[in-house]
Amino acid sequence: MLDFLDNPATLAGANRDPDGDMHAADFDPVGMAPTEFAHPTFSVPAIADPVAFLKHQTGVDAKNRIKIQHGTTTLAFKFNHGVIVAVDSRATGGSYIASQTVKKVIEINPYLLGTMAGGAADCSYWERELGRRCRIYELNNKERISVAAASKLLANMVYAYKGMGLSMGTMVTGWDKTGPQLYYVDSDGQRLKSDLFSVGSGSTYAYGVLDAGYKPDLTPEEAIDLGRRAIVHATFRDAYSGGYVSVYHVKENGWEFISRTDVNDLIYQYQAEEKPSLV
Amino acid sequence: MEYNGGAIIAMKGKGCVAIAADRRFGIQALTLGTDFQKVFSATDKIYFGLAGLATDVQTLLSNRIPSPTPPFEFTSSRPIQSFFLKTKADICSEKFRMKVDMYHLREEREISPKTFAHMVSSTLYEKRFGGYFVFPTVAGLDANNEPYICNMDGIGCITTPNDFVVSGTAENQLYGMCESLWEPNLEPEDLFETISQALLNGVDRDAISGWGGIVHVITPEGVITRTLKGRMD
Amino acid sequence: MPATAPATTTTTSPAAVKSMFPQAKSLSMASSAKPALSLQADTKSVATRSIAPESIKSTTSTSTQQSLTARALFEVLLGITGKDFVLTASDDTCARGIVVQKRGEDKSRALNKNNLMLFTGEAGDTTQFAEYIQCNTQLYRIRNGMDLSTRAVSSYVRKELATSLRSRHPYTVNLLIGGVDPKTGTPELYWLDYLSSCVKLNYAAHGYASYFCMSTMDRYWKPELSVEEAISLLKKCLAELKVRFIGNLPNFVVKITDKDGIREIEI
Repeated sequence: MLDFLDNPATLAGANRDPDGDMHAADFDPVGMAPTEFAHPTFSVPAIADPVAFLKHQTGVDAKNRIKIQHGTTTLAFKFNHGVIVAVDSRATGGSYIASQTVKKVIEINPYLLGTMAGGAADCSYWERELGRRCRIYELNNKERISVAAASKLLANMVYAYKGMGLSMGTMVTGWDKTGPQLYYVDSDGQRLKSDLFSVGSGSTYAYGVLDAGYKPDLTPEEAIDLGRRAIVHATFRDAYSGGYVSVYHVKENGWEFISRTDVNDLIYQYQAEEKPSLV
Repeated sequence: MEYNGGAIIAMKGKGCVAIAADRRFGIQALTLGTDFQKVFSATDKIYFGLAGLATDVQTLLSNRIPSPTPPFEFTSSRPIQSFFLKTKADICSEKFRMKVDMYHLREEREISPKTFAHMVSSTLYEKRFGGYFVFPTVAGLDANNEPYICNMDGIGCITTPNDFVVSGTAENQLYGMCESLWEPNLEPEDLFETISQALLNGVDRDAISGWGGIVHVITPEGVITRTLKGRMD
Repeated sequence: MPATAPATTTTTSPAAVKSMFPQAKSLSMASSAKPALSLQADTKSVATRSIAPESIKSTTSTSTQQSLTARALFEVLLGITGKDFVLTASDDTCARGIVVQKRGEDKSRALNKNNLMLFTGEAGDTTQFAEYIQCNTQLYRIRNGMDLSTRAVSSYVRKELATSLRSRHPYTVNLLIGGVDPKTGTPELYWLDYLSSCVKLNYAAHGYASYFCMSTMDRYWKPELSVEEAISLLKKCLAELKVRFIGNLPNFVVKITDKDGIREIEI
């Protein structure tokens, strides 16, 4: 009865052979959990090794490669007045800029935000699915889901598909009974709780600005400025980040959208400004 | 070419030509400098740009390749008009510079853009079996002030269209921009506007080129050089 | 606590400089431009040259270089220009595989009184190349009675490295060259990678450190920094590396190059 514990893939409704192969015909939409929590099912190519097939289509050596959106700078940090979330808006396929106006913050519900890095489709699908589950949880339990639980739901969902090529690095943040919360969840199934995260190809640059200016007792204005600056500096150095910087502030009564600004204007503005004192 | 990135365009106008390049120096995704020079003057009326691997751009553009002192006798009574006597050392490749100046001394006339392009081409082909990873673009006016533009691949195959040439990582985007913006018989100021718009909007769709631009419009009266503010992300 | 070896010989002292000269001269006389080691290698290559076309040679050397630089990326070089000085820092760790072989190594050489070159890269190549450059810049002064400027040194080094890149045994070294004009005190900092791309920058970093520190320096660097300000900025960078960089290097050799010469400082 509890054999799904040994093999989380059963939770996903996907049965695996002892050797781990999946077969399209074996999908069982009714798993251990109630149906509304059953993991969505996906059709899998009817071939011996679907994972290898996907890798063949998306790998760097593939001819006519299916390019998955990559390259991003996203960040979120907790401070005394909640959580600041800031993201860029560029999507690239190789060195081609596919879009400068991607929305990388997903508004899961009025109290929960998720950020997007990695595969755009993976992030938006799974975070939408997370939103649905959070709503169902709320209806069942007559109270909002905690950020810890929500992030765990997401981590468990994507963990069930580990090794199948999902690409997702996300931060789930919100305000619940225990106060402001911030979690990092990725497609490896890693789930971390901390005060400060940055994810994506430009994350190291964002950290470089963020760590130097961060302290928990920033005012909301200072914190918003710090988050925005960190993204802007990252877009200057990282070729795969750019476009617009969007900033959100998570407060006790839900998140608030702060701004969406062209990073180019900010780069020129910051260059003209006087630099902060060093001594 | 994807290692450092870059974009170069040359366009023909009415009695003038223009050449433009981006200013980024980067190593893959990391942008290190935003004032990298990729376009140089060969003579007063010939400019050329190199897109490709930055080290080879610099090797061809600014460093002396060891060579014995050329055994020639200076017989011309005419003052030498070539650029190396009057301009800074980093204006042009020492390799190309020596060849251009030797041409000048031997022939007692300025090299034409077409001849210069073939000189660049054969210099590249000399390294056919272990080449420089550069993609040159030449723009200039000949003795009759006829516009000339061309570009070539890494081992010297020249193409000479009648409208414009593009090279670099933003090549596809630049083709799109030039195809839609360019028209025949543009005056220098219009040509400047056209090539600038093509460059800036082209590189805005390429992650590894941009960070500003530089444009040279070569006219019989002189060269107009302007730097462009571009997106810095 | 790791046993920290005392700082290595700095070649800034007059005695050390003097001791370099015989070597410099003989090297330079021997071949116009190659240290003894390379000469041997060249002799070997002559025998096989006729059967190895250029393309094969360059492919092999490129592929080796890329794998070799992987470890060098963990080494840290930083440079910041100030009002009339250049502040540089390099980590002091020599590692091979998973073993730290030495702490307290100085990854820089004084090229002349006002120019310092910092290096990372393939073990062996780094010091061989740096000392070869050092010998020749010092020989230049003996022959010409004046020192090369920072710009001239960087140009010379770039050419040497670019020539080596197309040879059978390229030097795999990443370099920072910092110096000041001894008369005006104007600082200059040049960044060169192992492919010999060279750019002049106001502040620079090599290896993975550049991913962490460039944005910090973008945020805080301004023209005409005082020594205290530059040190404060350097501390911010090193603090960032300590927090975020998995390489986690404990100690750094910090030097200031100005009109009066090159000196090591404690920060």
